[in-house]
Amino acid sequence: MKIKCVIDNKNILLDVNSNKPLNLILKDGGQNIPNCDQKSCGNCVVLLNDEAILACLIPAFRLKGAKILTFEGYQKSRFWHDLERAYADTGSQPCPHCFASKTLIFESLLQLITRATKEEEVDEQTIVKEISLNACPCLDAQEVIAIYNAAAVYRRRRRVRRS
Amino acid sequence: MLEGVRSPAVHMPRTLNDLYYASNRFPQALFWAGGTYIMRHRNNYPQKEFPDVISLGSIPELKRISRTEKFLEIGSMVSFAMLLRVGKQVLPPLLLKTLENTATMLIRNQITFGGALATPDVRYALAGTLAALQGEVELKTNLGPRTETQWMGVERLYDKQGALLIKNNDLITRIRVAFERRTFSTFRSVGNVMAKPNECVMLSIGCSYSQSVINHFKMCITFPTSLFLIPHEIEMMMNGTLLPMTTQHIQRILKGVNDEIASSAGDSAHAIQFERASRFVEASLHELNAQSLSSR
Repeated sequence: MKIKCVIDNKNILLDVNSNKPLNLILKDGGQNIPNCDQKSCGNCVVLLNDEAILACLIPAFRLKGAKILTFEGYQKSRFWHDLERAYADTGSQPCPHCFASKTLIFESLLQLITRATKEEEVDEQTIVKEISLNACPCLDAQEVIAIYNAAAVYRRRRRVRRS
Repeated sequence: MLEGVRSPAVHMPRTLNDLYYASNRFPQALFWAGGTYIMRHRNNYPQKEFPDVISLGSIPELKRISRTEKFLEIGSMVSFAMLLRVGKQVLPPLLLKTLENTATMLIRNQITFGGALATPDVRYALAGTLAALQGEVELKTNLGPRTETQWMGVERLYDKQGALLIKNNDLITRIRVAFERRTFSTFRSVGNVMAKPNECVMLSIGCSYSQSVINHFKMCITFPTSLFLIPHEIEMMMNGTLLPMTTQHIQRILKGVNDEIASSAGDSAHAIQFERASRFVEASLHELNAQSLSSR
């Protein structure tokens, strides 16, 4: 099956089996994405049309015209700096094994800030639950909340400047 | 390793008529909603005999959310996240709590209502909650040249062990939930449905009470792979009960629930599930008592 899509801001024509999972497609393309064998370990998070998803749950045929951003592509965006500074400010960050996926889960939570009203703000329980999608125990709940809060401050400033 | 692996044909109908045409032409094809259930199977790829796929994601009619005076109607391809974004203010509290407690945001972006109700061998919390809310589904049966449409209560979709009763040519197109507010509703769940279904238990209860008398009591206890129980006898015992319930009455109800679970659960039910279900029911009845006392 031939599929046109955009991966990390590059137009790409894929010729793959229609039910091949996205994580394997990215892995074959040289990306550093683990093959979890559909165990949903939470290590293959990517942004599909700006929404965080597990790549192992997305078949190739759903990628027609889609915009995929992996961690490597995300590092080139301005939003990455919010999290980069939050990691530096708090002095804690995910381990190298889950760094990419936890960063993208944080990003998906930070994206809620742009559309959330006051009463819909993300609570601490939700933050911890979302990060727990990745089973790696390298960050405790306090650290997760501290990182999110620090990054949220930068993201809100960005939002204020833009408006 | 990938030699001989066939790339399944994917059909993407844009209207319901196209969909019926495709399913008539390819009767063995697999209906693909969100894909979270299918993709989680470890042997999903590469697989030599993977069937052709009819993707339901391009049919706008199935992605519609509408409301009338009495009902909220949800298209079967609406994802949990989509409904939480647009309908938080109008959703019944029990449904809202169930959706928020199902998986994480990343997975909720993908899970669809139709997919969650029609998975063949796993029952999710949504089915139990819709049954407790007396929700209905619109079922379209493809009979070749014509289609039949009927509204059916969610509880009639499954047997007591949770096995799906609809046929291969049936398609869930809409889900309907009444706006009627219950005075009391609670949703409790424990365990991971996908990782350890044999330890997981979900309980949904909705009821109203006026002048301390319970009415419209509905309860559904779900074990993902072995139980989908709506204990009608218990519901009858609860309706008309005066609040607050006495300890003896709660114990009587619990005994009835335990007996019903024991007689209905499939062989794969685990002892811990029996214990958890019993504790959940007990805690919920005490919660109902507490709420009724505080609202006096």
